[in-house]
Amino acid sequence: MENLNLGLMLMAVGMITVFVILLIVINLSKLLIAIVNKVAPEEVVTKKTAPAASAPAIIDPNTMAAIKGAVNIVTGGKGKVMNVEKI
Amino acid sequence: MEDIFVKLYEMTAISNIIADPSFLVMYAIAFVLLYLGIKKHYEPLLLVPIAFGVLLANFPGGEMGVIQADSNGMVEVNGVMKNIWEMSLPEIAHDLGIMNFLYYMLIKTGFLPPIIFMGVGALTDFGPMLRNLRLSIFGAAAQLGIFTVLLVAILMGFTPQEAASLGIIGGADGPTAIFTTIKLAPHLLGPIAIAAYSYMALVPVIIPLVVKLFCTKKELMINMKEQEKLYPSKTEIKNLRVLKIVFPIAVTTVVAIFVPTAVSLVGMLMFGNLIKEIGSDTSRLFDAASNSIMNAATIFLGLCVGATMTSEAFLNWTTIGIVIGGFLAFALSISSGIFMVKLVNIFSKKKINPLIGATGLSAVPMASRVANDIATKYDPKNHVLNYCMSSNISGVIGSAVAAGVLISFLQ
Repeated sequence: MENLNLGLMLMAVGMITVFVILLIVINLSKLLIAIVNKVAPEEVVTKKTAPAASAPAIIDPNTMAAIKGAVNIVTGGKGKVMNVEKI
Repeated sequence: MEDIFVKLYEMTAISNIIADPSFLVMYAIAFVLLYLGIKKHYEPLLLVPIAFGVLLANFPGGEMGVIQADSNGMVEVNGVMKNIWEMSLPEIAHDLGIMNFLYYMLIKTGFLPPIIFMGVGALTDFGPMLRNLRLSIFGAAAQLGIFTVLLVAILMGFTPQEAASLGIIGGADGPTAIFTTIKLAPHLLGPIAIAAYSYMALVPVIIPLVVKLFCTKKELMINMKEQEKLYPSKTEIKNLRVLKIVFPIAVTTVVAIFVPTAVSLVGMLMFGNLIKEIGSDTSRLFDAASNSIMNAATIFLGLCVGATMTSEAFLNWTTIGIVIGGFLAFALSISSGIFMVKLVNIFSKKKINPLIGATGLSAVPMASRVANDIATKYDPKNHVLNYCMSSNISGVIGSAVAAGVLISFLQ
Protein backbone atom coordinates (compact mmCIF):
# COMPACT_ATOMS: atom_id res chain seq x y z
CA MET A 1 0.00 0.00 0.00
CA GLU A 2 2.87 2.31 0.88
CA ASN A 3 4.53 1.58 -2.48
CA LEU A 4 1.23 2.19 -4.29
CA ASN A 5 0.90 5.61 -2.67
CA LEU A 6 4.48 6.34 -3.68
CA GLY A 7 3.64 5.25 -7.25
CA LEU A 8 0.58 7.51 -7.37
CA MET A 9 2.58 10.42 -5.99
CA LEU A 10 5.33 9.82 -8.58
CA MET A 11 2.74 9.71 -11.35
CA ALA A 12 1.25 13.05 -10.30
CA VAL A 13 4.61 14.76 -9.67
CA GLY A 14 6.22 13.25 -12.76
CA MET A 15 3.48 14.18 -15.22
CA ILE A 16 3.10 17.69 -13.78
CA THR A 17 6.88 18.23 -13.93
CA VAL A 18 7.11 17.01 -17.54
CA PHE A 19 4.21 19.26 -18.60
CA VAL A 20 5.57 22.26 -16.70
CA ILE A 21 9.10 21.85 -18.09
CA LEU A 22 7.86 21.50 -21.67
CA LEU A 23 5.53 24.48 -21.22
CA ILE A 24 8.50 26.46 -19.93
CA VAL A 25 10.60 25.29 -22.91
CA ILE A 26 7.79 26.31 -25.33
CA ASN A 27 7.33 29.75 -23.77
CA LEU A 28 11.07 30.23 -23.44
CA SER A 29 11.40 29.43 -27.15
CA LYS A 30 8.71 31.99 -27.97
CA LEU A 31 10.61 34.56 -25.92
CA LEU A 32 13.86 33.64 -27.67
CA ILE A 33 12.14 33.99 -31.06
CA ALA A 34 10.92 37.47 -30.09
CA ILE A 35 14.38 38.51 -28.84
CA VAL A 36 16.22 37.07 -31.85
CA ASN A 37 13.70 38.69 -34.23
CA LYS A 38 14.46 42.03 -32.58
CA VAL A 39 18.22 41.74 -32.07
CA ALA A 40 19.24 39.74 -35.15
CA PRO A 41 16.23 40.10 -37.44
CA GLU A 42 17.11 38.75 -40.86
CA GLU A 43 19.51 36.15 -42.05
CA VAL A 44 21.70 37.80 -44.65
CA VAL A 45 21.42 35.59 -47.68
CA THR A 46 24.25 36.36 -50.04
CA LYS A 47 23.16 35.90 -53.61
CA LYS A 48 25.52 33.87 -55.67
CA THR A 49 26.94 36.04 -58.40
CA ALA A 50 26.48 34.66 -61.87
CA PRO A 51 29.73 33.39 -63.37
CA ALA A 52 31.32 35.76 -65.82
CA ALA A 53 30.52 34.97 -69.40
CA SER A 54 34.18 34.81 -70.28
CA ALA A 55 35.02 32.30 -67.55
CA PRO A 56 35.69 28.84 -68.95
CA ALA A 57 32.96 26.32 -68.26
CA ILE A 58 33.94 23.60 -65.78
CA ILE A 59 33.89 20.19 -67.38
CA ASP A 60 32.65 17.27 -65.35
CA PRO A 61 35.63 14.97 -64.50
CA ASN A 62 33.77 11.91 -65.83
CA THR A 63 33.09 13.67 -69.14
CA MET A 64 36.73 14.79 -69.29
CA ALA A 65 37.92 11.21 -68.69
CA ALA A 66 35.59 9.94 -71.43
CA ILE A 67 36.88 12.55 -73.90
CA LYS A 68 40.51 11.76 -73.06
CA GLY A 69 39.79 8.03 -73.45
CA ALA A 70 38.16 8.56 -76.85
CA VAL A 71 41.03 10.77 -78.09
CA ASN A 72 43.54 8.21 -76.85
CA ILE A 73 41.86 5.40 -78.81
CA VAL A 74 41.35 7.43 -82.01
CA THR A 75 44.91 8.83 -82.08
CA GLY A 76 46.53 5.59 -80.89
CA GLY A 77 47.88 7.27 -77.75
CA LYS A 78 49.56 10.12 -79.63
CA GLY A 79 46.90 12.76 -79.12
CA LYS A 80 46.66 14.89 -75.98
CA VAL A 81 43.66 16.88 -74.72
CA MET A 82 44.84 20.38 -73.80
CA ASN A 83 41.56 22.20 -73.44
CA VAL A 84 37.83 21.49 -73.73
CA GLU A 85 35.44 24.30 -74.50
CA LYS A 86 31.68 24.35 -74.85
CA ILE A 87 30.57 25.94 -78.13
CA MET B 1 45.53 -41.49 -20.62
CA GLU B 2 42.00 -41.36 -19.27
CA ASP B 3 43.07 -38.57 -16.91
CA ILE B 4 44.19 -36.45 -19.84
CA PHE B 5 40.80 -36.82 -21.52
CA VAL B 6 38.98 -36.01 -18.29
CA LYS B 7 41.12 -32.89 -17.86
CA LEU B 8 40.57 -31.91 -21.49
CA TYR B 9 36.82 -32.38 -21.03
CA GLU B 10 36.88 -30.24 -17.88
CA MET B 11 38.98 -27.59 -19.62
CA THR B 12 36.31 -27.00 -22.27
CA ALA B 13 32.99 -25.32 -21.59
CA ILE B 14 31.16 -28.52 -22.59
CA SER B 15 31.14 -29.97 -19.06
CA ASN B 16 29.57 -26.83 -17.63
CA ILE B 17 27.03 -26.58 -20.46
CA ILE B 18 25.94 -30.18 -19.89
CA ALA B 19 25.73 -29.56 -16.15
CA ASP B 20 23.62 -26.42 -16.71
CA PRO B 21 21.73 -26.52 -20.05
CA SER B 22 20.26 -23.03 -19.41
CA PHE B 23 23.33 -21.73 -21.26
CA LEU B 24 21.86 -23.23 -24.43
CA VAL B 25 18.74 -21.09 -24.01
CA MET B 26 20.95 -18.01 -23.78
CA TYR B 27 22.79 -19.02 -26.98
CA ALA B 28 19.43 -19.40 -28.70
CA ILE B 29 18.40 -15.91 -27.50
CA ALA B 30 21.72 -14.48 -28.72
CA PHE B 31 21.30 -16.12 -32.13
CA VAL B 32 17.72 -14.85 -32.48
CA LEU B 33 18.82 -11.30 -31.57
CA LEU B 34 21.74 -11.52 -34.01
CA TYR B 35 19.33 -12.73 -36.71
CA LEU B 36 16.94 -9.82 -35.99
CA GLY B 37 19.80 -7.31 -36.09
CA ILE B 38 21.65 -8.67 -39.14
CA LYS B 39 18.90 -10.10 -41.34
CA LYS B 40 15.84 -8.08 -40.28
CA HIS B 41 17.77 -4.82 -39.70
CA TYR B 42 16.09 -4.21 -36.30
CA GLU B 43 18.29 -1.47 -34.76
CA PRO B 44 21.44 -3.34 -35.93
CA LEU B 45 23.83 -0.74 -34.51
CA LEU B 46 22.73 -1.70 -31.01
CA LEU B 47 21.14 -5.10 -31.31
CA VAL B 48 24.24 -6.72 -32.86
CA PRO B 49 26.67 -5.64 -30.07
CA ILE B 50 24.06 -6.49 -27.40
CA ALA B 51 23.43 -9.92 -28.90
CA PHE B 52 27.14 -10.64 -29.22
CA GLY B 53 27.60 -9.49 -25.62
CA VAL B 54 24.94 -12.06 -24.59
CA LEU B 55 26.83 -14.76 -26.44
CA LEU B 56 30.20 -13.81 -24.88
CA ALA B 57 28.74 -13.64 -21.38
CA ASN B 58 27.41 -17.18 -21.42
CA PHE B 59 30.50 -19.27 -22.07
CA PRO B 60 31.38 -20.84 -18.73
CA GLY B 61 34.97 -20.08 -17.80
CA GLY B 62 35.17 -17.19 -20.26
CA GLU B 63 34.77 -14.61 -17.46
CA MET B 64 32.90 -12.30 -19.83
CA GLY B 65 29.59 -12.18 -17.94
CA VAL B 66 28.90 -9.16 -15.76
CA ILE B 67 28.71 -9.96 -12.06
CA GLN B 68 26.19 -7.68 -10.40
CA ALA B 69 27.07 -6.34 -6.99
CA ASP B 70 24.28 -6.50 -4.39
CA SER B 71 22.69 -3.39 -2.91
CA ASN B 72 25.65 -3.06 -0.51
CA GLY B 73 28.13 -3.31 -3.35
CA MET B 74 29.29 -6.83 -2.37
CA VAL B 75 30.43 -9.36 -4.98
CA GLU B 76 31.84 -12.83 -4.64
CA VAL B 77 35.42 -13.00 -5.90
CA ASN B 78 36.98 -16.48 -5.81
CA GLY B 79 34.76 -17.47 -2.87
CA VAL B 80 35.48 -14.29 -0.90
CA MET B 81 32.95 -11.44 -0.55
CA LYS B 82 34.45 -8.09 -1.57
CA ASN B 83 33.07 -4.58 -1.82
CA ILE B 84 33.24 -3.65 -5.51
CA TRP B 85 33.58 0.06 -4.73
CA GLU B 86 36.72 -0.60 -2.70
CA MET B 87 38.35 -2.56 -5.54
CA SER B 88 40.62 -0.76 -7.97
CA LEU B 89 39.90 -1.03 -11.70
CA PRO B 90 42.99 -3.18 -12.40
CA GLU B 91 41.88 -5.44 -9.55
CA ILE B 92 38.39 -5.74 -11.10
CA ALA B 93 39.95 -6.54 -14.48
CA HIS B 94 42.26 -9.14 -12.92
CA ASP B 95 39.76 -10.83 -10.60
CA LEU B 96 36.49 -10.51 -12.56
CA GLY B 97 37.58 -10.21 -16.19
CA ILE B 98 37.73 -7.49 -18.82
CA MET B 99 33.95 -7.22 -19.31
CA ASN B 100 33.39 -6.39 -15.64
CA PHE B 101 36.20 -3.83 -15.90
CA LEU B 102 34.35 -2.17 -18.82
CA TYR B 103 30.96 -2.47 -17.11
CA TYR B 104 32.01 -0.95 -13.79
CA MET B 105 34.11 1.76 -15.45
CA LEU B 106 31.78 2.84 -18.29
CA ILE B 107 28.26 1.71 -17.43
CA LYS B 108 27.93 1.54 -13.67
CA THR B 109 29.42 5.01 -13.38
CA GLY B 110 26.66 6.27 -15.73
CA PHE B 111 29.29 7.51 -18.20
CA LEU B 112 28.11 6.12 -21.52
CA PRO B 113 24.39 7.09 -21.77
CA PRO B 114 25.13 10.86 -21.54
CA ILE B 115 27.93 10.42 -24.11
CA ILE B 116 25.44 8.77 -26.46
CA PHE B 117 22.98 11.60 -25.74
CA MET B 118 25.67 14.04 -26.86
CA GLY B 119 25.87 12.18 -30.17
CA VAL B 120 22.08 12.11 -30.46
CA GLY B 121 22.03 15.89 -29.86
CA ALA B 122 24.63 16.37 -32.58
CA LEU B 123 22.38 14.49 -34.98
CA THR B 124 19.14 16.26 -33.96
CA ASP B 125 17.62 19.25 -35.69
CA PHE B 126 15.43 21.31 -33.36
CA GLY B 127 14.17 23.35 -36.35
CA PRO B 128 10.86 21.46 -36.77
CA MET B 129 10.17 21.83 -33.04
CA LEU B 130 10.89 25.57 -33.07
CA ARG B 131 8.67 26.06 -36.13
CA ASN B 132 5.76 24.16 -34.52
CA LEU B 133 6.09 24.99 -30.83
CA ARG B 134 2.39 24.40 -30.12
CA LEU B 135 2.76 20.73 -31.06
CA SER B 136 5.70 20.16 -28.71
CA ILE B 137 3.40 19.76 -25.72
CA PHE B 138 2.35 16.32 -26.99
CA GLY B 139 5.86 15.17 -26.10
CA ALA B 140 4.74 15.56 -22.47
CA ALA B 141 1.42 13.71 -22.86
CA ALA B 142 3.18 10.66 -24.28
CA GLN B 143 5.10 10.16 -21.02
CA LEU B 144 1.94 8.94 -19.28
CA GLY B 145 2.80 5.36 -20.26
CA ILE B 146 5.95 5.54 -18.09
CA PHE B 147 4.05 6.41 -14.93
CA THR B 148 1.04 4.14 -15.61
CA VAL B 149 3.30 1.11 -16.02
CA LEU B 150 5.20 2.17 -12.90
CA LEU B 151 1.92 1.85 -10.98
CA VAL B 152 1.01 -1.46 -12.64
CA ALA B 153 4.48 -2.86 -11.92
CA ILE B 154 4.23 -1.88 -8.25
CA LEU B 155 0.88 -3.72 -8.11
CA MET B 156 2.58 -6.76 -9.69
CA GLY B 157 5.10 -6.83 -6.85
CA PHE B 158 8.10 -5.00 -8.30
CA THR B 159 9.93 -2.62 -5.96
CA PRO B 160 9.38 1.11 -6.80
CA GLN B 161 12.94 1.29 -8.19
CA GLU B 162 12.41 -1.74 -10.43
CA ALA B 163 8.96 -0.46 -11.46
CA ALA B 164 10.41 2.92 -12.45
CA SER B 165 13.11 1.24 -14.55
CA LEU B 166 10.43 -0.86 -16.22
CA GLY B 167 8.13 2.10 -16.84
CA ILE B 168 10.86 4.20 -18.45
CA ILE B 169 10.81 1.77 -21.41
CA GLY B 170 7.63 3.68 -22.38
CA GLY B 171 9.80 6.74 -23.04
CA ALA B 172 11.09 4.84 -26.11
CA ASP B 173 14.56 6.16 -25.49
CA GLY B 174 17.32 3.57 -25.11
CA PRO B 175 20.01 5.70 -23.38
CA THR B 176 17.41 7.16 -20.97
CA ALA B 177 16.13 3.68 -20.09
CA ILE B 178 19.69 2.45 -19.49
CA PHE B 179 20.67 5.54 -17.47
CA THR B 180 17.60 5.22 -15.21
CA THR B 181 18.09 1.47 -14.73
CA ILE B 182 21.78 1.88 -13.84
CA LYS B 183 20.79 4.34 -11.15
CA LEU B 184 17.73 2.51 -9.78
CA ALA B 185 17.81 -1.22 -10.58
CA PRO B 186 21.14 -2.24 -12.17
CA HIS B 187 20.34 -5.96 -11.82
CA LEU B 188 17.59 -5.49 -14.46
CA LEU B 189 19.80 -3.67 -16.96
CA GLY B 190 20.02 -6.51 -19.50
CA PRO B 191 16.33 -7.33 -19.96
CA ILE B 192 15.28 -3.66 -19.78
CA ALA B 193 17.78 -2.59 -22.44
CA ILE B 194 16.76 -5.51 -24.66
CA ALA B 195 13.05 -4.70 -24.21
CA ALA B 196 13.60 -0.96 -24.84
CA TYR B 197 15.61 -1.45 -28.03
CA SER B 198 13.42 -4.30 -29.30
CA TYR B 199 10.26 -2.22 -28.96
CA MET B 200 12.01 0.78 -30.53
CA ALA B 201 12.85 -1.47 -33.46
CA LEU B 202 9.21 -2.52 -33.55
CA VAL B 203 7.93 1.08 -33.78
CA PRO B 204 6.81 0.47 -37.41
CA VAL B 205 4.55 -2.29 -36.08
CA ILE B 206 3.39 -0.88 -32.73
CA ILE B 207 2.42 2.67 -33.82
CA PRO B 208 0.15 1.54 -36.72
CA LEU B 209 -1.43 -1.03 -34.38
CA VAL B 210 -2.30 1.54 -31.69
CA VAL B 211 -3.32 4.16 -34.28
CA LYS B 212 -5.68 1.67 -35.94
CA LEU B 213 -7.26 0.94 -32.56
CA PHE B 214 -7.93 4.52 -31.52
CA CYS B 215 -8.08 6.78 -34.63
CA THR B 216 -10.76 7.18 -37.27
CA LYS B 217 -10.05 7.64 -40.98
CA LYS B 218 -11.42 11.19 -40.76
CA GLU B 219 -8.97 12.09 -37.99
CA LEU B 220 -6.02 10.58 -39.86
CA MET B 221 -6.92 12.64 -42.93
CA ILE B 222 -6.59 15.98 -41.10
CA ASN B 223 -4.22 17.90 -43.33
CA MET B 224 -1.81 19.95 -41.24
CA LYS B 225 -0.75 22.23 -44.12
CA GLU B 226 -4.37 23.12 -44.89
CA GLN B 227 -5.00 23.81 -41.20
CA GLU B 228 -1.91 26.03 -41.23
CA LYS B 229 -3.31 27.97 -44.18
CA LEU B 230 -6.73 28.33 -42.53
CA TYR B 231 -5.30 29.39 -39.16
CA PRO B 232 -1.76 30.72 -39.77
CA SER B 233 0.70 30.78 -36.88
CA LYS B 234 1.42 34.20 -35.38
CA THR B 235 5.03 33.39 -34.59
CA GLU B 236 7.44 34.20 -37.37
CA ILE B 237 11.10 33.19 -37.11
CA LYS B 238 13.33 35.75 -38.79
CA ASN B 239 16.68 34.19 -38.01
CA LEU B 240 16.53 30.45 -37.45
CA ARG B 241 20.32 30.02 -37.36
CA VAL B 242 20.84 32.31 -34.37
CA LEU B 243 17.75 30.87 -32.66
CA LYS B 244 19.08 27.33 -33.04
CA ILE B 245 22.35 28.38 -31.35
CA VAL B 246 20.65 30.15 -28.44
CA PHE B 247 18.03 27.41 -27.91
CA PRO B 248 20.28 24.62 -26.49
CA ILE B 249 22.00 27.05 -24.12
CA ALA B 250 18.69 28.38 -22.80
CA VAL B 251 17.01 24.95 -22.45
CA THR B 252 20.00 23.49 -20.58
CA THR B 253 19.95 26.41 -18.16
CA VAL B 254 16.22 26.11 -17.48
CA VAL B 255 16.18 22.31 -17.11
CA ALA B 256 19.28 22.46 -14.87
CA ILE B 257 17.49 24.85 -12.53
CA PHE B 258 14.23 22.88 -12.31
CA VAL B 259 15.33 19.21 -12.63
CA PRO B 260 19.08 18.99 -11.89
CA THR B 261 19.04 15.15 -12.07
CA ALA B 262 18.08 15.36 -15.76
CA VAL B 263 21.02 17.61 -16.63
CA SER B 264 23.45 14.81 -17.41
CA LEU B 265 21.10 13.68 -20.19
CA VAL B 266 19.48 16.94 -21.37
CA GLY B 267 22.70 18.93 -20.89
CA MET B 268 24.76 16.55 -23.02
CA LEU B 269 21.98 16.36 -25.62
CA MET B 270 21.98 20.14 -25.88
CA PHE B 271 25.80 20.36 -25.90
CA GLY B 272 25.92 17.96 -28.84
CA ASN B 273 23.30 20.07 -30.59
CA LEU B 274 25.11 23.33 -29.85
CA ILE B 275 28.38 22.21 -31.45
CA LYS B 276 26.37 21.16 -34.50
CA GLU B 277 24.51 24.45 -34.79
CA ILE B 278 27.55 26.71 -34.31
CA GLY B 279 28.79 25.45 -37.65
CA SER B 280 32.29 25.49 -39.09
CA ASP B 281 33.97 26.86 -35.93
CA THR B 282 33.15 23.66 -34.02
CA SER B 283 32.80 21.29 -36.94
CA ARG B 284 35.63 19.09 -35.66
CA LEU B 285 33.90 18.67 -32.30
CA PHE B 286 30.62 17.96 -34.08
CA ASP B 287 32.32 15.35 -36.22
CA ALA B 288 33.86 13.65 -33.17
CA ALA B 289 30.60 13.72 -31.17
CA SER B 290 28.43 12.39 -33.97
CA ASN B 291 30.86 9.83 -35.39
CA SER B 292 33.89 8.48 -33.57
CA ILE B 293 32.82 9.07 -29.95
CA MET B 294 29.21 8.06 -30.58
CA ASN B 295 30.25 4.89 -32.42
CA ALA B 296 32.81 3.84 -29.79
CA ALA B 297 30.28 4.51 -27.00
CA THR B 298 27.64 2.47 -28.82
CA ILE B 299 29.97 -0.52 -29.17
CA PHE B 300 30.91 -0.58 -25.48
CA LEU B 301 27.36 0.12 -24.31
CA GLY B 302 25.95 -2.68 -26.46
CA LEU B 303 28.56 -5.26 -25.46
CA CYS B 304 28.37 -4.45 -21.74
CA VAL B 305 24.55 -4.44 -21.68
CA GLY B 306 24.55 -7.79 -23.47
CA ALA B 307 27.10 -9.15 -21.00
CA THR B 308 24.74 -8.43 -18.09
CA MET B 309 22.40 -11.08 -19.51
CA THR B 310 23.90 -14.17 -17.96
CA SER B 311 21.60 -17.18 -17.72
CA GLU B 312 21.04 -16.76 -13.96
CA ALA B 313 20.26 -13.03 -14.34
CA PHE B 314 17.99 -13.36 -17.38
CA LEU B 315 16.03 -16.60 -17.18
CA ASN B 316 13.41 -15.72 -14.58
CA TRP B 317 9.84 -14.42 -14.28
CA THR B 318 11.05 -10.84 -13.80
CA THR B 319 12.30 -10.82 -17.40
CA ILE B 320 8.89 -11.96 -18.68
CA GLY B 321 7.26 -9.22 -16.57
CA ILE B 322 9.64 -6.67 -18.12
CA VAL B 323 8.84 -7.82 -21.68
CA ILE B 324 5.07 -7.55 -21.07
CA GLY B 325 5.31 -4.34 -19.01
CA GLY B 326 7.61 -2.75 -21.59
CA PHE B 327 5.10 -3.34 -24.38
CA LEU B 328 2.31 -1.95 -22.21
CA ALA B 329 4.38 1.15 -21.43
CA PHE B 330 5.11 1.67 -25.11
CA ALA B 331 1.50 1.25 -26.24
CA LEU B 332 0.19 3.47 -23.42
CA SER B 333 2.65 6.24 -24.29
CA ILE B 334 1.48 6.24 -27.91
CA SER B 335 -2.22 6.14 -26.98
CA SER B 336 -1.94 8.88 -24.33
CA GLY B 337 -0.42 11.18 -26.96
CA ILE B 338 -3.29 10.37 -29.34
CA PHE B 339 -5.94 11.08 -26.69
CA MET B 340 -4.28 14.37 -25.75
CA VAL B 341 -4.62 15.47 -29.41
CA LYS B 342 -8.27 14.37 -29.44
CA LEU B 343 -8.86 16.42 -26.28
CA VAL B 344 -7.21 19.51 -27.79
CA ASN B 345 -9.23 19.07 -31.01
CA ILE B 346 -12.49 19.31 -29.03
CA PHE B 347 -11.64 22.83 -27.88
CA SER B 348 -9.56 24.11 -30.79
CA LYS B 349 -10.66 25.33 -34.23
CA LYS B 350 -7.27 24.47 -35.69
CA LYS B 351 -7.44 20.69 -35.84
CA ILE B 352 -4.40 18.49 -35.27
CA ASN B 353 -3.77 15.09 -36.81
CA PRO B 354 -3.67 12.53 -33.94
CA LEU B 355 -0.54 11.01 -35.47
CA ILE B 356 1.31 14.00 -34.01
CA GLY B 357 0.29 12.80 -30.55
CA ALA B 358 1.34 9.24 -31.37
CA THR B 359 4.90 10.43 -32.02
CA GLY B 360 5.21 12.14 -28.64
CA LEU B 361 7.36 9.28 -27.43
CA SER B 362 11.05 9.48 -28.38
CA ALA B 363 12.32 6.99 -31.02
CA VAL B 364 13.46 9.87 -33.23
CA PRO B 365 13.04 9.96 -36.21
CA MET B 366 11.60 6.52 -36.87
CA ALA B 367 8.29 7.27 -35.12
CA SER B 368 7.79 10.39 -37.29
CA ARG B 369 8.60 8.51 -40.47
CA VAL B 370 6.11 5.76 -39.58
CA ALA B 371 3.43 8.37 -38.78
CA ASN B 372 4.10 10.10 -42.10
CA ASP B 373 3.69 6.79 -43.93
CA ILE B 374 0.33 6.23 -42.23
CA ALA B 375 -0.88 9.75 -43.11
CA THR B 376 0.16 9.50 -46.77
CA LYS B 377 -1.59 6.13 -47.02
CA TYR B 378 -4.91 7.89 -46.38
CA ASP B 379 -4.05 11.03 -48.35
CA PRO B 380 -0.89 11.00 -50.52
CA LYS B 381 -0.59 14.79 -50.22
CA ASN B 382 -0.78 14.84 -46.43
CA HIS B 383 2.88 14.93 -45.31
CA VAL B 384 2.98 15.24 -41.51
CA LEU B 385 6.68 14.45 -41.01
CA ASN B 386 7.76 17.95 -39.95
CA TYR B 387 4.84 18.33 -37.55
CA CYS B 388 5.45 14.89 -36.03
CA MET B 389 9.14 15.73 -35.55
CA SER B 390 8.08 18.56 -33.25
CA SER B 391 6.38 16.27 -30.71
CA ASN B 392 8.94 13.55 -31.39
CA ILE B 393 11.91 15.77 -30.43
CA SER B 394 10.15 17.28 -27.44
CA GLY B 395 9.45 13.68 -26.39
CA VAL B 396 13.22 13.18 -25.99
CA ILE B 397 13.32 16.12 -23.56
CA GLY B 398 10.13 14.87 -21.88
CA SER B 399 11.43 11.35 -21.25
CA ALA B 400 14.75 12.71 -19.93
CA VAL B 401 12.84 14.95 -17.51
CA ALA B 402 10.63 12.01 -16.44
CA ALA B 403 13.79 9.98 -15.82
CA GLY B 404 15.22 12.88 -13.78
CA VAL B 405 12.09 12.94 -11.59
CA LEU B 406 12.18 9.16 -11.02
CA ILE B 407 15.88 9.19 -10.15
CA SER B 408 15.61 12.12 -7.76
CA PHE B 409 12.70 10.51 -5.86
CA LEU B 410 13.82 6.88 -5.83
CA GLN B 411 17.63 6.84 -5.72
